[in-house]
Order: sequence, then C-alpha cells, then structure tokens
Amino acid sequence: MKEIFKITLSLTCVCIAAALILGAVYTQTEHIRKEQEEKTERQTIQSLLGYGPGKEIPADLNVFSIHRYVINTADAKTMLGYVLPLKDKGHVLAEIELSGKPGKVIPLEGKESEIAERASRDKIVNDALPDGWKAVWAQTLYVANLGDKRLGYVVPGVTQGFKTFIHLMVSLDPDFTVTGIAITESEEDPGLGAEIEQGFFRNQFVGKTQDVLRNLKVVKEPLPDDYFRALEPAKAKRAGMTPEQVREARDKYLKADIYALTGATISSVAVTVGVKDAVRKFVYRIDILNDAIKQDNVQVAF
Amino acid sequence: MNKNIQLLWNGLIPENPIFRLALSLCPAVAVTTSVKNGLMLGLAVVFVQVFSSCTVAIFRSYIHPRIRIPAYVIVIALWVSVIDMILPVISPAVYKEVALFVKLIVVFAIIISRLELFASKQPLIPSFFDGMGMGIGFTFGLCLVGAIRELSGVGQLFGYEVLGGAKPLLVMILPAGGFFVIGFIMATFNWLEYKITGKIPASGGGH
Repeated sequence: MKEIFKITLSLTCVCIAAALILGAVYTQTEHIRKEQEEKTERQTIQSLLGYGPGKEIPADLNVFSIHRYVINTADAKTMLGYVLPLKDKGHVLAEIELSGKPGKVIPLEGKESEIAERASRDKIVNDALPDGWKAVWAQTLYVANLGDKRLGYVVPGVTQGFKTFIHLMVSLDPDFTVTGIAITESEEDPGLGAEIEQGFFRNQFVGKTQDVLRNLKVVKEPLPDDYFRALEPAKAKRAGMTPEQVREARDKYLKADIYALTGATISSVAVTVGVKDAVRKFVYRIDILNDAIKQDNVQVAF
Repeated sequence: MNKNIQLLWNGLIPENPIFRLALSLCPAVAVTTSVKNGLMLGLAVVFVQVFSSCTVAIFRSYIHPRIRIPAYVIVIALWVSVIDMILPVISPAVYKEVALFVKLIVVFAIIISRLELFASKQPLIPSFFDGMGMGIGFTFGLCLVGAIRELSGVGQLFGYEVLGGAKPLLVMILPAGGFFVIGFIMATFNWLEYKITGKIPASGGGH
C-alpha cells in the first residue's frame, strides 16, 4: 500500500517537472515563433504574387486583408460578416445573409494593428455586434493591388490529407485563373506525401482556368519528362531550356489533369480537391461581396 | 576516453540500430527515399537520443523502477517538444526542413530501448557517448539506405542528377524498395560478421 503512494508521487513529480519545463520554454519562445509565422505568411503571399528573391517588391504593391466571419444572431440565424478596409483608413463589418442579400454595414473601432491581430479583432467584431450575437472567424482572404490596378487574389484553403489537414494558399489573377499554389502547413509523410511541396507538383496548377479547374482530375500516370523539366525552373535552366521553351512546354499541358505523385495518390488528390474547393468557394463569395459593396456603397480601399 | 570511443563505435557498426538491433525499422523504411531525408531524420534522432539519455542517466536513481517506462516516455516527449519549440527560434531555415521528422520521434523504439538498456544503469558520461553513438549509427544507417534507394530509384544523390537522368529501378523509392535495401544490407552485415568471427550470427539483434 505504501509503495503505491510512492509510485504515484514519483510519477506526479516527473509530470510536473516536465510540465514546468515545457511551460517555461513555451512562454519564452511563443512570441518569436508567432512573429516568424507571420513573416513566413507574408513571404508566402508575396512569392505567390510573383515577388521574392530575384524580383523586387514594387513600392505600389498593396495587399489588403479581408476577414470573413460567421455570425450567429440572437434568434439562431446564421449570416456572414466581412471585415473590410476603408479608403480613408478604418474598417467596417459588412453583413451578408446566406442568400447573398447584403445586410447592415457596421463601422469598427480599432487601429490597424488591432484589426490585424486575431484575438483583438475577434473582440472588436463581437463588441460591435448587438447583444447575444456571436461572430467566429472563418478565414482571411487577400486582395492585391498594384497601384490602382487589381493584381490578383490569394485565397487560403484547408483539405483533409493522408494524416492531418493540409493548409494551402492559392493565388488567382483577376480572371480567377490560378497563378500559383503554396502548401503552408502539412504533416504528410516525408518522401511520399510531403512531395506535394515540390515545384513539379505545385506548378502543375499554374495556368489552370476556371473551366479547366472545374473538371480537373488526378491521373495516375508518370509525369512526362518535358513537362517535368518545365515545371522546375532550376531543372529547366540546367537542361538549357529558354523561357520560351518552358512556356511552350507548360502551355502544351495547360488543359491536362494533375499527375499524381508516385506513392502519394491520396495526398495528390487531397491537394487538388483543396485547390478546386478553395477557388470555387472564393469565386462565389467574391461575387456576392462585390455586389454587396456596390449596393451598400462602401468606399473600400481595394 | 578509450572506452567512450568504443561506445561511439559500438553504435555505429557492431550494434547499429537499424542493421544489427533491427529497431525503428518503420521510419527507416518510410523516410529513406532520399539521402537528405535520411540525414534530417538522423540529426533529429541524435538530438533527442543524446538529451534523453543524459536526462535519464542523471535522474536514474530517482526514477522508481516500476514507473520507469512512463517516465522515459515523458522524458522523450519533453525533449521532442522542447526541440520542436526552440528550433524554429534558433534557426527557422533548419526547422522548416526538420519539422516533419522531429514530430515522428516520440514513438521510436531505438530511443526508449537505449534508455532502458543503457542510460538507466550507467553514469552520465558513458550514457552521453552511447546516445551519441546510437544517434550517429542511426543517421549512418538512414543515409546508407537513402543513398542506395535514391541512386537506384531516381538516379540522384542529394537531389542532384548523377546518372545523367537514368532511373534504373523505380521500385526502390517505393516502400517495397526500403525492405529490399535494408534486408540486403542486414545480410551483408551478418555475412561480414560470419567471415570475421566465424560464428553464425543470431537472428535479429537479440533485443
């Protein structure tokens, strides 16, 4: 009997010691980790828009964030709320009913940095809503402008991968043609599913228009060699392909389906479904949002 | 000091975790489709193995023998989590490459087996070298398997074409190839032991 207490006490001590160490490390590293995550996210968005190492970011590139909220009203109705940046600083929350009918436009109080931070933004949005209403953040969309011209959109997406969820981002041009995808978070198996991060897989999505994307499938066929080289800029360079030849090779497969990764069909399908889904929903939503902005005459920044 | 080098050597060849002890074969098959993957996972294991071995060696007299296994698991999980949190702060570039592998480690048999067989009975210094030796041995094993599979499977090494675009045996980078390669290397190790000692080796590692 005495021993069981000793064992319990001993194991408790081990657990407490481990918890204390973990807690200490967490509090010390968390803010740096967060900063880095934000930095990588900014870099991902910039590289999706075509800027990064080797291509200077122009001074008149503006990336605006649109935060989408799901609002539950006091009488158990659901509607959407978009946090939109205004032309003359400040933000508004534009309500849109599920049917697409625009609702009220509520001005939000709070500085730029408070809106950017998720926790403080959640509070601001919920404070602006009537009592008993609840808003939950769903996703953040990005609209990129070059000066006054629309450069494109960056849309996040989530899809069920082989093990856990795959988080990805898709960039679109103003006609909603895919210009690039990036995998932001995944825990697929190294060497198999994790290959979805490789250029030769991701770049297969580049140039897929709305029509192609709608019927896009995954085929279990080996990637043709000329296409493979064209999809990897570094390989194309080494093989002595000129930019024109690369474009030609890519154009040849512009309407082709996605070639699955060897040994990772599930992950390949997951990404394809995720991209299709993210784009389809975004196109639908941005249409409704643009209508609502026009009807309510909101002076948005983008 | 000589004894410590002996311990390092022991982990590298005579008790190589993959080819002699036949432990942690699951990640060894899954991950080794390229040398780079093998190297990354190996480095992550070196860190966790050394830190866990040292921790257990220091506290070995305080850990009640009847709860040693849960205590080891907590120690390993602790170091895996700590590395997972500290590494992105120290070096985001390295973390981006290794992150996937670090999270796999908690369930590796080789680490808990070394804690149980060695670190729980030996003082700090030998435990450190044993952990180091096992980690390096594991890395060596993964790299060797990865090199053979990558070379024969896709004709590359570290992602660079070395066979001029030829891909001799695609099956090698599929899971089945992992079993082939590890099996053949294991057989080679046994054959060498037989040639050197003249005795027929016991099957597996005996653990």
